[in-house]
Amino acid sequence: MKKYEILEHKADFKIRVFGKSKEELFLNALLGMVAGLQPEFSNQRTVIRKIKVSSVDLNALLVDFLSEALYLIQANKEAYDRIVFARFNDNELTAELSGKKIERFGQDIKAVTHHDLAVGKNENGVWQAVILFDV
Amino acid sequence: MISEKYFKKINDWLWEIPEDFRSDMRVPARFYASEKVLGEVLKDRSVGQLVNVATLPGIVKYSLAMPDMHEGYGFPIGGVAAMNTKEGVISPGGVGYDINCGMRLLKSDYKEKEIGPYLDRLASEIQKEVPSGLGQGRRMKLDASSIDKILEGGAKSLVEQGYGEKEDLENCESGGYLPQADPTNVSGKAKERGRGQVGTLGSGNHFLEIQKVNEVFDEKVAKTFGLFKEQIVIMIHTGSRGLGHQIATDYIRIMLSAMLKYGIKLPDRELAACPIGSPEGKEYLSAMACGANYAWANRQMITHFVRKAWSGVMAGGSPPVSLSLAPLYDVAHNIAKIEKHEVDGREVELCVHRKGATRAFPPGHSEIPEKYRLAGQPVLIPGSMGTASYVLAGQKSGAEAFYSACHGAGRIMSRHAAARKVSGEDVAKELRSKGIIIKCRSVKGIAEEAPMAYKDIENIVGVIHSAGLAKKVVRLTPLAVIKGE
Repeated sequence: MKKYEILEHKADFKIRVFGKSKEELFLNALLGMVAGLQPEFSNQRTVIRKIKVSSVDLNALLVDFLSEALYLIQANKEAYDRIVFARFNDNELTAELSGKKIERFGQDIKAVTHHDLAVGKNENGVWQAVILFDV
Repeated sequence: MISEKYFKKINDWLWEIPEDFRSDMRVPARFYASEKVLGEVLKDRSVGQLVNVATLPGIVKYSLAMPDMHEGYGFPIGGVAAMNTKEGVISPGGVGYDINCGMRLLKSDYKEKEIGPYLDRLASEIQKEVPSGLGQGRRMKLDASSIDKILEGGAKSLVEQGYGEKEDLENCESGGYLPQADPTNVSGKAKERGRGQVGTLGSGNHFLEIQKVNEVFDEKVAKTFGLFKEQIVIMIHTGSRGLGHQIATDYIRIMLSAMLKYGIKLPDRELAACPIGSPEGKEYLSAMACGANYAWANRQMITHFVRKAWSGVMAGGSPPVSLSLAPLYDVAHNIAKIEKHEVDGREVELCVHRKGATRAFPPGHSEIPEKYRLAGQPVLIPGSMGTASYVLAGQKSGAEAFYSACHGAGRIMSRHAAARKVSGEDVAKELRSKGIIIKCRSVKGIAEEAPMAYKDIENIVGVIHSAGLAKKVVRLTPLAVIKGE
């Protein structure tokens, strides 16, 4: 199963993300976003960040989670590729993100948008979401 | 996608989707387009987004879009929406994530032939002085009190510290800062993202260009603006960087949950909005003002670095001329402003959202610098990379669009499609064959911004001029392009 695919969008960065579970969907969305930032890694030092998000529903939770991760990525110049969830439901999550320090980004992502976002299961029973980032 | 059969032609430049098109519309939706541009407008969902904007509480007259309109998130890019401050809402999505993304133009005393031998060095020095900010950023990071000063005082706070001249503020929209800014309404996260980015360009379509005045359309206004044929000018296009992006993200989140208590239901979450007079509305307006001030400070700091590069390269040049780079104007194209406009014969206070649209006040308006007051506000419209840009002047007939004009050419092709179709090397080669110097760290970035990915600026500005929203003053063509990434 593909983790994510990059879709056509006239001005911005759009991805379709897949996951066997909601948790995997969130992880793959994070991986898709990080790929969009085109990070250049400086060393192999592992970094860990704690994250806690609560939102009105699952759609908003995905946007708020990615927005929080984007803030940590940009403020600390880090890129994350693993998540350990301590708590996860449709309205809140607590997790630990881990990844590496980066040297620079090849592309800026301004924000994660709610545009056309719909988190749900596709006909194969796989969780899926289309996410648009403002770049 | 909305079919053309629902469009009512108002005149050769203006189209309307009547209020009865959808039951939740409060006003008609109108957009400016020539027959030539209309086809492009119909290719995406921007008209549908314009109809959605027409459903926002308190919207006055029409939801509007400029001819460079294209699909955004929530609002279309190129959209203008004016809300009555008494009953209306304010929407962070109507400003966009890049708060006060905008333009600044600096004028030199040089003509093209005098600058030729220095051009390449100038472009390199400017690139060196003004980083994109996607790497480690500036070595200097602002502390908490310095960032608060910038959020409160914008370009003014930097000029007071010696990073510019009084004239820079006189020739800047709102004097380079909005007084309603209150840094306590800006999150620590937003401030953290902004600490290392004052004086950085960013990526995407942000750029610096060394240009020449290629054609003068209105001698009298050009003279008032201090512009002449063959003159060398420098154009700056950037915004509020990560700080503004975070303010928008924070307040869309706040408003999404808060609007439930105000009973506001909207067709798109990116339109999230709260009453202008509500605590959330007031806090956003004040935080947005902080973002706008940061952007003016960013363009001021970039001006400082460009001047440093300029005087370093041009000192001792022949013939010796003034080394100063004087400001023509600085104007936002992503902002919400409280303005007074005439509606049904009465002057009313409105909150005008311009998302990808440039304010274009008419001659005589009190908010225009005195020296330009008889000519109209300078309106700075960038073209796509390697193509022409324009200086226009606001007109009285722009009242129908709350004195607004376009903000650029408008994309017609995705970044990916552009990068697939042409290589950065080919675009750079083509630009060089036209005598244009290009400085960019990433060849992919060049491909993504290839001129073919955009509408033709001549058509867009042509609509603005013909519709009477702003008149053409001069056309600028690029000699050197400096892009962040």
